[in-house]
Amino acid sequence: MTLKSEIENILNQARKDISSCKNLSDLENLKVKFLGRKSRFSELLKRIGKLSSEERPIIGKLLNKSKSEIENIIEKRRNSFENTVNNSEHTFDITMPGRPIEIGAKHPVFQVWEEIEDIFISMGFEIAEGPEIENEYNNFDALNTPEWHPARNLQDTLYLKNGMLLRTHTSPVQIRVMKNFKPPIKIISPGRCYRNDKPDASHLPVFHQFEALVVDVGITFADLKSTLDSFVKRFFGEKIRSRFRPHFFPFTEPSAEIDMLCINCHGKGCKLCKNSGWLEMGGAGMVDPAVLENVKFDSEKYTGFAFGLGIDRITMLRYGISDIRTLFKNDLRFLKQFV
Amino acid sequence: MKISYNWLKKYIPIKLSVEEFCDKLTMFGLEVEEIINLEEKFENIVIGKIISISKHPNSDHLSTCLVDIAEKEPLSVICGAPNVGKNQTVVLAKIGAKIGEIEVKKVKLRGIKSFGMICSEKELGLSENHSGIMILDEKFNAGEPISKALNLADNIIEVEVTPNRPDLLGMIGLAREIGVMIDEKYSKPKIKFQESSQLTSDAISIEIKNPKLCPRYCCRIVRNVTIKSSPDWLQQRLRAIGLRSINNVVDVTNFVLMEYGQPLHAFDYDKISGKKIIVRTAKNNEQIELLDEENYKLKQDNLVIADAEKPIALAGIMGGMSSCISPKTKDIVLECAHFEPKNIRTTSYLMNLESDSSHRFERGTNPNGLEEIIDRAAQLIQQVAGGEICKNIVDVYPKKISPQKIFLRTKRVNDILNINLKSEKIKSFLQKFEFTISEKNNDFEVTIPTFRPDIEREIDLIEEIARRYGYQNITSTASIPQIENRQKRLTLRAIKNHLVKLGFFEVCNLSFSGTDVFEKLNLSNSDFRRETADMKNPLGEQFSILRTTLIPDLLRNVATNLSYKFEDFKLFEMNNVYFKKDEKSFLEKTFLTGTITGKFNSEYWNVHPDKPSFFDVKGVVESILEILHIPKITNYVKSTEPYFVKEQSADLIFGDEKIGSFGVLSDKILSKFEIKTFTLLFDIDLTKLLKHISQDEIVYSEVIKFPPVLRDIALISAQNISVSEIEKTIKSLNSEIIRSVSLFDVYAGKQIEKGHRSLAFRITFQSEKSTLTDNFVDKLFDKIVRKLSSDYKIKLRKK
Repeated sequence: MTLKSEIENILNQARKDISSCKNLSDLENLKVKFLGRKSRFSELLKRIGKLSSEERPIIGKLLNKSKSEIENIIEKRRNSFENTVNNSEHTFDITMPGRPIEIGAKHPVFQVWEEIEDIFISMGFEIAEGPEIENEYNNFDALNTPEWHPARNLQDTLYLKNGMLLRTHTSPVQIRVMKNFKPPIKIISPGRCYRNDKPDASHLPVFHQFEALVVDVGITFADLKSTLDSFVKRFFGEKIRSRFRPHFFPFTEPSAEIDMLCINCHGKGCKLCKNSGWLEMGGAGMVDPAVLENVKFDSEKYTGFAFGLGIDRITMLRYGISDIRTLFKNDLRFLKQFV
Repeated sequence: MKISYNWLKKYIPIKLSVEEFCDKLTMFGLEVEEIINLEEKFENIVIGKIISISKHPNSDHLSTCLVDIAEKEPLSVICGAPNVGKNQTVVLAKIGAKIGEIEVKKVKLRGIKSFGMICSEKELGLSENHSGIMILDEKFNAGEPISKALNLADNIIEVEVTPNRPDLLGMIGLAREIGVMIDEKYSKPKIKFQESSQLTSDAISIEIKNPKLCPRYCCRIVRNVTIKSSPDWLQQRLRAIGLRSINNVVDVTNFVLMEYGQPLHAFDYDKISGKKIIVRTAKNNEQIELLDEENYKLKQDNLVIADAEKPIALAGIMGGMSSCISPKTKDIVLECAHFEPKNIRTTSYLMNLESDSSHRFERGTNPNGLEEIIDRAAQLIQQVAGGEICKNIVDVYPKKISPQKIFLRTKRVNDILNINLKSEKIKSFLQKFEFTISEKNNDFEVTIPTFRPDIEREIDLIEEIARRYGYQNITSTASIPQIENRQKRLTLRAIKNHLVKLGFFEVCNLSFSGTDVFEKLNLSNSDFRRETADMKNPLGEQFSILRTTLIPDLLRNVATNLSYKFEDFKLFEMNNVYFKKDEKSFLEKTFLTGTITGKFNSEYWNVHPDKPSFFDVKGVVESILEILHIPKITNYVKSTEPYFVKEQSADLIFGDEKIGSFGVLSDKILSKFEIKTFTLLFDIDLTKLLKHISQDEIVYSEVIKFPPVLRDIALISAQNISVSEIEKTIKSLNSEIIRSVSLFDVYAGKQIEKGHRSLAFRITFQSEKSTLTDNFVDKLFDKIVRKLSSDYKIKLRKK
């Protein structure tokens, strides 16, 4: 075999092997086999010096050309492997989870709280606040609560050692606002309130409520009904009606208890509404003239309405939570559901 | 619309200064956009006489004129107008005069000096004509200010007439409105002329083919007129409001248009074929050349005025060339018509053709009262062009448009405006607007004259009464009090939203506590958190006080959740705490307290978080300050709180006030709460923090257009020199150019001298004024190195 044909044989073998090789490591082995220090090629290169002066340039040229061709096809093959790896459906698993972005959540009671605020803000209300530690005057007297009223008992109301009390509703905020501002007044006052209740499935000594108060010229019972109805529909959905039943509160006259259509059965009767078809929501009424006089408003000129609803209760209704204590255990297994 | 104050005053006495008058107009609903005092505008602009003219040696189209302006020597002025010539009387703007916004200066034009400018009508703002310089009658005296020569001592008031009030697009309509405004009577011109014995109806016949689009068409004929230029008074009136004088007859039609707001047109009688005017829609492919010298292809819905053969005008928009008034015209036909607005609007829009005429017709002109207007035009034409006016008006008005009646209730007026107007007062207001009234039990049946197409309903009348009464005289009702602290509500929400995004879960605990927690937190006896509000009838020992800190409840929440096998989690609570202030009163404050337990982020296949550290919680605190735009007056000092690891905690200080603290909770405290996992805590007094929130919103500043230069600097510094000190020192060397100094690497250990550390900062240099040169930055960089070396013995780290 002439040198020339041997070189051609090596070249042909390399072409065949490289094109049929299966992976990168095989390719590395082939590179060593054909171009490595111990390869036939290297041997031939070493022998060049011993060739005749006529043969030397021809064979040298051929060797160099072949070498660079083998290098070229190895490189091409390598590229083709790398491209397949990157594009391969088998090695690139798009179902693997993305880089996690950990998002927390507001407490569900505060989520509901903010939503209530937003609904009332969109209806032109402002948010008012006041202290939780109140005096008896703002919490009871100014609100026309008689001395004999059971709500004032130690069994019902939490008192501090110095005679002040923890507000039993956010109504004292109404008194504070009316003392400081003139009508038109259109506020809701959400906040934390307290009752002397031992914790059980439906009671806690701490609860959250909001009250709405509107005082202006020409405010009527019909305005009360439409405002409450608008809120209930916006919060619970268009189908949820509300109704008013006569009741007694010292600070409103006429007074009413508010029910809304059971959000679970829509009035057919179920466990949630104890088969009545209605859920009790809270109290409402026209602001008692005595309350208006207490804050020096002309009760002939101005009229107003007020209502109060429980934020915790609304939260429980919305999510179907049956035990109020669940809300305040701060268990991440619970909280993580509200992301 | 442009109003000449002088002209307006011909119809109504106004004793107000132009400024007072314009204020009133604006408050009455006619917004004044601009007042131009022509005397000021034409200062230094005078009559000039061209004594001689020669060609500019270096230009083909420029001429050098010697202009006499009655000064010592005539001015040499270069002029490029094609119509300039010797002995012309022209308008010359002297040096210092203002042409529009441009001041006339001494200039050199192709090597020759020019000492003024000969003006065109457009340059003077007298018309749109810019075909050449303005050439005046030679009777004017050289040097006379043109405001005086052309009687331009006037104020031009540009008012915005709302599109519902076409009646205000003429002097008389305006005078009527202003009469209501200032309680004055206005007057119309007296019209009186002799008619010849020839009947108009013998000379021309009129046929309206489409009475819906043209409910009324009137014409008059004036014979044997002399077409020439208008007398000065007429030219001046038109010039003042920016209209070009064309000839006496056309000028009269424009004058009456501006006077009454009703467009008119004059045809050359001899050019009307068949002596017949037909108002019809165009035939397909009919064409007409209009006065703008353009040919228009007409469509079937275009209304035209035609003679027996062809269209001679595009109805209500523009006259045609074929029948226009020319110097040879002898007899003229005057048109005064009413067109349906919508058709005019559509045609004008589709043909892209607007005129003073279409502007009025498309808003709705008054179909009635055309006789008076055509008579006024005939009278003026006779006055300025001579001739005989034929007897009677030919008036085709097949279906008279009669005024509408609207019922107006006094109570409704007062209810809507919340005022208390007696019915007599309402009556007097309505009468001023020239509404006819019949009273019925304090209410009114109001007949609306046809010049007010905008009044269609009771509410439109109430608007008129409100305008006359004055919006400023209606007292606003009680203002709505600002009750809520909006800033506080939004800020607290923003903080919550922010923490949620960082992965925190909000918890909510009850307000009560026992007193044992103080020991658990290792609080000293004098700690402010021991000033408690004590319950009289507590529900039990754990309910005996109102909590003064959120920390214990939160740590209990951490312990609970660790027991549920959560490893890495972040909690916060934002709620009130309560302190005893004195025997009688208490203090309620809002606190924000949060914990980071375990790692800041959980381990995941591609997330390998660093060991948690003090800097995790510091980053959270800093980010809260950042979203609240709290300026960096914040100071961090080593915390004195007893529950932290001593070195790894900080108090947050604003001014002299401690706002909060954060750091690594000590094992001792954690074990008391049965927590075995590394936990970080921050505790911030939001009530205090809120006081430091700046009221300013985000302050925007223009993006710097010059590129920044970034340089890294690696330093070897003693451990006891704080990073913030180094940062401040670097910045202090040129705070305008050194935009930021940010730490990107810290290393201590091998190769670094004991008690020292290596700090690497990236410094951003950027100027608002120019691109920084390498040389400049190098020098500043050297300065930084020298300063750090001399003040702190900090050295550059060698590579």
